[in-house]
Formats: sequence, structure tokens, C-alpha cells
Amino acid sequence: MSNKPFNSFDLAQSQFDRMADRLGLDDPARELLRWPMRETQFLIPIRTDDGPVKIFRGFRVLHNDARGPGKGGIRFHPQETIDTIRALAMWMTWKCALMDIPLGGSHGGVVCDPHNLSLREQEQLCRGWVRQLSRDLGPRIDVPAPEIMTNAQHMLWMLDEFEAIRGERTPGFITGKPVGMGGSLGRLEAAGFGLVFVLREALKELGIPPEETTASVQGFGNVGQYAIRLFQQMGGKVVCVACWDQKEGTSYSYKKESGVDFNSLAGITDRFGGIDKKKAAALGYDVLPGSAWLEQDVDILIPAAIENQITIDNVKKIPPKVKIVAEGANGPMTSEAETVMAGRNIFLIPDILANAGGVTCSYFEQVQSSMNYYWEKDEVLGKLDVKMTAAFHSVLELAKEKGLSMRDAAFYIAIARVAQACRDRGWI
Amino acid sequence: MDKSFSKSLAQFDRQFFTGREKFTLIGRGGLGGKAHGLAAMEDILEQQLGGRFAPDIQVVIPTLTVITTDFFDFFMKDNRLYDIALSEARDDLIAQAFQKAELPAPLVGDLRALISQVHTPLAVRSSSMLEDAMFEPFASVYATKMIPNNQWDADTRFRKLTEAVKYVYASTFFKDARNYMRATKHTTADEKMAVIIQEVVGVRYGDRFYPHISGVARSHNFYPLGHAKPGQGVVDLALGLGKSIVDDGIGWTFSPAYPQANPPYISIRDLLEQSQTSFWAINMGSPGEYNPIQETEYMLKFNLTDAERDGSLRFIASTYRPEDDKIVFGMAEPGPRIIDFAPLLKLELIPFNKMLRALLKICEERLERMVEIEFAMTLDEKRGKPGRFGFLQVRPMVVSDAKVDVSLAELVGEHVLVASESVLGNGILDDIQDIVYVKPEKFSPNQTQTIAGQLEELNQKLAASHVPYLLIGFGRWGSTDPLGGIPVNFGQICGAKAIVESTLPEMNFMLSQGSHFFHNITSFRVLYFSVPHWEKYMIDWPWLGRQRAVAETELVRHVKLPAPLKIKVDGTTSRGVIYHA
Repeated sequence: MSNKPFNSFDLAQSQFDRMADRLGLDDPARELLRWPMRETQFLIPIRTDDGPVKIFRGFRVLHNDARGPGKGGIRFHPQETIDTIRALAMWMTWKCALMDIPLGGSHGGVVCDPHNLSLREQEQLCRGWVRQLSRDLGPRIDVPAPEIMTNAQHMLWMLDEFEAIRGERTPGFITGKPVGMGGSLGRLEAAGFGLVFVLREALKELGIPPEETTASVQGFGNVGQYAIRLFQQMGGKVVCVACWDQKEGTSYSYKKESGVDFNSLAGITDRFGGIDKKKAAALGYDVLPGSAWLEQDVDILIPAAIENQITIDNVKKIPPKVKIVAEGANGPMTSEAETVMAGRNIFLIPDILANAGGVTCSYFEQVQSSMNYYWEKDEVLGKLDVKMTAAFHSVLELAKEKGLSMRDAAFYIAIARVAQACRDRGWI
Repeated sequence: MDKSFSKSLAQFDRQFFTGREKFTLIGRGGLGGKAHGLAAMEDILEQQLGGRFAPDIQVVIPTLTVITTDFFDFFMKDNRLYDIALSEARDDLIAQAFQKAELPAPLVGDLRALISQVHTPLAVRSSSMLEDAMFEPFASVYATKMIPNNQWDADTRFRKLTEAVKYVYASTFFKDARNYMRATKHTTADEKMAVIIQEVVGVRYGDRFYPHISGVARSHNFYPLGHAKPGQGVVDLALGLGKSIVDDGIGWTFSPAYPQANPPYISIRDLLEQSQTSFWAINMGSPGEYNPIQETEYMLKFNLTDAERDGSLRFIASTYRPEDDKIVFGMAEPGPRIIDFAPLLKLELIPFNKMLRALLKICEERLERMVEIEFAMTLDEKRGKPGRFGFLQVRPMVVSDAKVDVSLAELVGEHVLVASESVLGNGILDDIQDIVYVKPEKFSPNQTQTIAGQLEELNQKLAASHVPYLLIGFGRWGSTDPLGGIPVNFGQICGAKAIVESTLPEMNFMLSQGSHFFHNITSFRVLYFSVPHWEKYMIDWPWLGRQRAVAETELVRHVKLPAPLKIKVDGTTSRGVIYHA
């Protein structure tokens, strides 16, 4: 049992430190890159539907923008902390650099539970968040995007508030907008599909035909749903899906040995990715504890929910059959757990690579919004696949060349690129 | 097609020209007939020819990748296209619906990678599963789209490629294909389509890209020329893309047994008029009208003078010398050019004919039946050699081997409705009681399009009830020129089991067809009679006029006989006769 509570930023900094040693970065570079360049913490007062005013806490962290404007999500979550936001901003810097897109890394959030807020209250929260940050956001400064428990509607409210403040139309201010209102086709699918594109390459590398594989997935939100859909289209079988049950305040795993039926499961899922337990049971799914997804005898595990899900405490429960872990979520695995996994020769596709489809498509959306000309979905997904596949192979090649883990190789490439950009700008 | 022909093909590794394999797959589904035929030949060409015929001819299957049929399934299902596809909607509406649909996500990355590194023209071809399952060669039923692929940005090239793939998918459900299916035991709902993306063999001259030679070679000739026998085969050659031969029916025809013999002609001037005067090329210049649902969006027809300016006639043309009414080999003298391929066939600059004979033999042995191959070739622009021969397609030919004797004496008599010494096919039919014919007294070349529409309606009814019939009309069936004959495609008359083409004294038609029309006639074992008015055998029009009509328009008549006709065709002598009771 580990005693210290998990801290995402500690994890992110330790990952950075290890690679900084390996890259031989000097002290100024380390100091600049292991901390965010700018942090904003603020309060958002909201008058609730019942009348009283409630105060919410908001954040925006810009980790580094040497390679381009900041880019990062905004999440609404009751357990949000500044350290989580810092870590997510740092990972976003690495992710954009790894994908070789001209953006920096940032992240933001509001401590709240949207399940308990009406749409009007959520709208007020979105508008309040933008009002507090309008000077530090913009298409050429820092570009938000949806993340956990935020969606296209939230982005549109934020855009509207921003445009009202600026007095101009700036669709490139935010990404994840609805299609037809400045959104990109393929944006919804991008994170999940992107994960499967790199998973496909990993299977090729291991010489395993996709149609002979099974998978278990944690999370049935955007990433999980689209990853399952494409994985099944490639011939793979998903036997277990875990997700959060809002009513009961716990998670469950839904298992079907013959393979989950994506469409029927999606039909009984709420907008936050929660599956209706009773209806799932009626459809013949075994309802198991939330942790059971990890213990399934499958070839592939896809943690696509939140951070800190595979730890030293449960890593040993991963069955011997598992050959690949593809991290759909940010930071779903602790360093200690990863060390154990490495000893078992499990092929890891690290989060900054596996879930980079979302930010890559966000970048495409921003490009399209700036041009005010929108591409067909074929074009978006075609470009996404090429980017993801190219990134996978550059990581794999470096991992082989330098004897690094896939995660270290990914960080190595990304950190080297960002450090170089800082040097080129004369910052360090 | 026999699955043993297919070897284990490599998956596309995102390296089109530079990859280790030149024949790859995207997907894990079926290959379809066309791709399967090429897969069957790939190894054998390598083994038997080592990629070369003599030192001067490189023989290759041009680089290609096949999108297998599983992607067609995903595309149709995910975009919910079956409703419109299986409706009776117009072709353009079906094509539009397909253009709006999205290609499967696992496919677009490979297409994007392919297009990012390829800047030369590509042919996007259909490869149908039913062809494969039925061992039934369909010709010209589904679309092929040529794209110039020379736009500077990858986004545009990618868009053009995806449009072409969707167009080929849509063509599975076009009216011609639906009509065509009526002649088989299948429906379009059973069909699945693979798509071949293939390098186009050719050379760029300014705004044009085309091969110096394209051709179709068959190991059996239903219309033997001169001394040649049916089993000695026949070859059609043309300058430019093969569309001239397969759709327009224009080219230089010769028997591989007598490559130096000219096609039959009355005078040199006649030969000049019959031969090719224009050619098809891919338009590499300013794009024409944007129309992703048109097969020839990027194809243009040019004149021989354009080709002469390009310098591409040098090794394939001769010159007409009007002062002594002679054809002189080559282009040393000024004068009208004739595309007779004399430097290759008569002067044997390279062993071109020998190679064709060898290829036909290899293909026949491999497929264990008579074959038809399509090819394209480029020649070294300065010396004519070496040449690069692109093997594009192999199809089995359906040839009846029933022994049928038709003597000269049988061609005349009281019960003879039609007789001819120029007949296509082989066999006996004795179950036809329906005749659909164009009324000779009402026929006018200006009304052939109206006639085509009326015939199509009758055909739909008869084919839907599985009633075979005899079809009689004037001019070239399947003519692309409405003044030259009745401009039907095979699907519009697919229920006919015997067809007669005739002429009237006031007409001056040359009786022949485009090779795809011809191919379908032979594939479906349709017996085909040529009865020009200048020959001694006639159609018994008065008898026909006395028969009871079950349907009649101003131009077309459908009669039902009390007793079946007896139709005999002797493929060895090209004699045929149709008796009424």
C-alpha cells in the first residue's frame, strides 16, 4: 500500500525530471519546464435557480507556449485541484510537441459537479469563467477545449461570452464547438479513434491480428465510446466496460463474454458516459464491481476514465494474458505500477500519445475556424490517422534506438522539442 | 474464381511506389474479380517472364493497392446507404448520396498516406465480388475513374481520391448495373465492391497523360479475320487510354497469328476512315467542370495532330500517300497519319506480338480457359525501346464448346426467319417464343434514342418474368453514336438470348461493337447475327409482320409465337440460322 495521496503534478514532474536527466537539460531549462509559466486562480459567483448565490473556484494554467498558443481542456469536476490542472497543462505541452502541432500546453477547470447544476447555472459558470480570464485567452494566446464533464454546449456559451467581450467573431477562440457553429467534423470521434489508430500500429508491431484480440475498457465517455466503436470495426472484441454510476456514487463494470454491443450500450448511457445499471442487466450484462475491468482475461486494457486508476495496489491483478495497455485517460497509471508492468513485458501506449487524437483534432478545428472553411470528415480523420501513426512510429523508433520505454521515448521527443523552442526564442 | 489462385498478399504499408510490395491490400475482406484475376497472374508473370519479355519489354502489373470489400460493407452500413442504393432512384441522386457519406475511419488514414506521396495519375477501378463468385466476367458494368492527382496540395488530391472511391461504390447501384443483374440470378443487394487504386501507365505531354498503346487481346476470336481461325485470337490496339477500344469500339484489329495483315477494308481510303482519328487522355491541365459523379470528369479526347505534336506517334503510326493511294510505314513523309502500329507489328521494332501470344498462353494455362487481357504500354520516346508493358486485367472468356453444325443448305428454306454467315457465339436455343423487333418501315437513324428507351421498357418486363427473347434491330447495337445504331448498353437488352443486327438499303452502318458490349454478349452466351442488306440472306419481315403482337409502339413490336423458334449457331463456321415453326 502506498501511504502518500496521489498527486498528478508530482507524477508529471517526476516524469519530466527523469527525461531532463536523460536529455541533459541545464538548470534554467529544468526550472522553466517543470513549472507552469502562468497560473490563474479565481472565484466565480453564481446566482442559483433557488435564489442564493454560490461561489465556485476556477483555474487556468498555462504551462508553456514556446511552440505556439496554449491549448488545453477545461473540466468541471468536484475533486478538481490546482495540482491536477498543473499536471494536465504540462502533459498537454508534451502532447502537442509530440504530435508536432504548433501549440503549447494549458489546462483549466472549475470545482463543481455539473450533475447538480441546472443548464442555466452551468451557462452562468461558463460565462463567469470566461469573464475572469478574457485577457489571457484567445486564438493567439490560449485556446480552451472541452474535457471531463464539459461539452460542445459549454464551449459555445464560452465562445459567445468571449465574443461579446471582444466585440468580434473569433471562432478560433475555443474548440470542441458544435458542428455548424465552428466545430470540426470528426472532433467527437477524434480521441477514441486516435487511440485505436495507435493501438492498431502496436498490434502490427507485435504481430497480432486485431480480429483475434479482446479488450476491456474503463470509461464510457467520448474516448471510451469511440475507441470501442472503431476497435470493433477493426474486428476486435470488447468484453467489459466500466463507468461511473452517478446515482450510487460508485463505478461498475459491465461484462459480456460474447462482446459488448456498442449500439445497445450507448442507447442506455447518459450524457456523461454513465450506463444505466438496471437496463444493462436486462440486456444480459454481468454487473461487476468497478475495479473488475482491470481483472478481465483480455489482450488489451484501455483505461479511458480519469487519473490514478492503475496503481501499485491493483497492478498485480492484471491477468497474464494482457499484452497491451493503451492509456486513453491522462495519467491513469502511477510510476510504481508502471515499473511492475514493465517487468511483465506489457506494451504500453502512453497517454500523451494514445489520447493525443483529441488535441490534434482540436488543432484541426482551430485551423478551420481561423480560415472559416471546414473540411469533410474523411479529410479530418485521414489527417488524424496519418499524424497519430507517424507519432507512434517516431516514439517506437526512438524507444528501440535508445532502449527506452514507450512513455520515456514519448517524453524524450516532446521535451526535447519544447526545450529547443525555448532556446530558439532565446528564453534560456 | 478459384481461391487457390490468390496468394497471401501484403497489407498496404503506406508506401505506394517505394514499398517492398507492389500489390497490397487495405483491409481484410474480399478482393473482387478484377483484383483476384491480377493476384492470380502476379506470381506467374514473375516466374515465367521474370518481369521482362526479351531485353526490350518490361512486363509489370502496375503498382496497386486494393481496398477490400469489408470497407464497402462498413461504408454502406454506417452511412445507411442501402435504402437509396436499392431504390429506383436516378444514378445522379445515388451518386450524390454516396458523395455525402463518410468513408470508414480505418481506411482514410491509409488513403491519406498514399496520396501524400503519389503525384502521378491514378485509376480507381471497381472489382466486384459477384464477378469473383460467379466466375462471371462483368465488363463496363461498374465505374472506373481516372484522376490526374497532380494538384499541388495533398488535401485536394485526397479529396479527389475519396470522391473517386465513393463514385465507384455508387456505381454498384446505378441503373446499368441493376439492369445487368437482371441477366444473372443475383441482385445488386448481393453485390460487394472492392476498389483497386492503381498507377496509370502513361507519359505526360503538357496537359495530357496517356499510354502510347492500350489494348485488349483475346485468345478466342468470334469474328475471325481473313485466314485466321477463331482459336488464334484477336487483338485490338489503340493510341491513348483504352476507352477508345472498350467503349468506342475503335482501334487497330489483328490476329496474333497474322500480325502483319491489315483489318478487312475495301480501299486504302476506307482503311484510313475506319482507323483511329482521336484518342483519350487524362486531363492534367485546367480542370473541367467539377463533377465528381461523372466517370470522364478528368478525361479528354484529343486529335492525332495533338499526338503528333507530342511526338507519341513515332513508333505506332504510318502515313497515307494520296498521290499513289499507298500507306508508307513510319512518319518520314508529311500526310495523314494512320495508327496501324506498323513499326511494332510489321517492322518488329520490339517483339510485341510474340509477347502478346506468350501472355495469352500463360493466362490461358493459369485460368484453364480462354482469356481476355487488357493492357497499356509506353515506349521509349527516342528509340521506341525499351517499352514498359502494364498488365491491367485478365478475364476468363465464356466460349461454348457444344458441337453445332449448320450447313449452307440449311440457310435457305420456307421456315427460315433469319440466316447469316457472320454469326457470333455457338450453340442451339429452342425455348424462345418472344420476338422484339424494330419495325423496318418506321425505323429512322434519328429515332434510335427513343427506340433504346422503348426497348429498355420491354426488356425490363420480359427479364423480370424470366422470358427469353429474340431481338432484331438496325445498325450497331451498343453504338455510342446514336446515328450509327441503337445506343443501348448491355443492361438495357440483357433479357435477349439472341440478337440480330441488320441494315436497310438507305443506311450505311458498319456492324461492330465496343469491346465491352461485345464481351458481355459472349459472356452471357447471347447468339448474335449480322444480317446486312447487301448479303444474300434476308430477314423474313413479312412473316414477322403476320405474327400476333402482344405489345406495340410506333417504332417497336413485341410478338409472341405459338411455338418456339429454333436457333442454331455454328461457332466454327460462323454460320447461323433461325427457324420458325
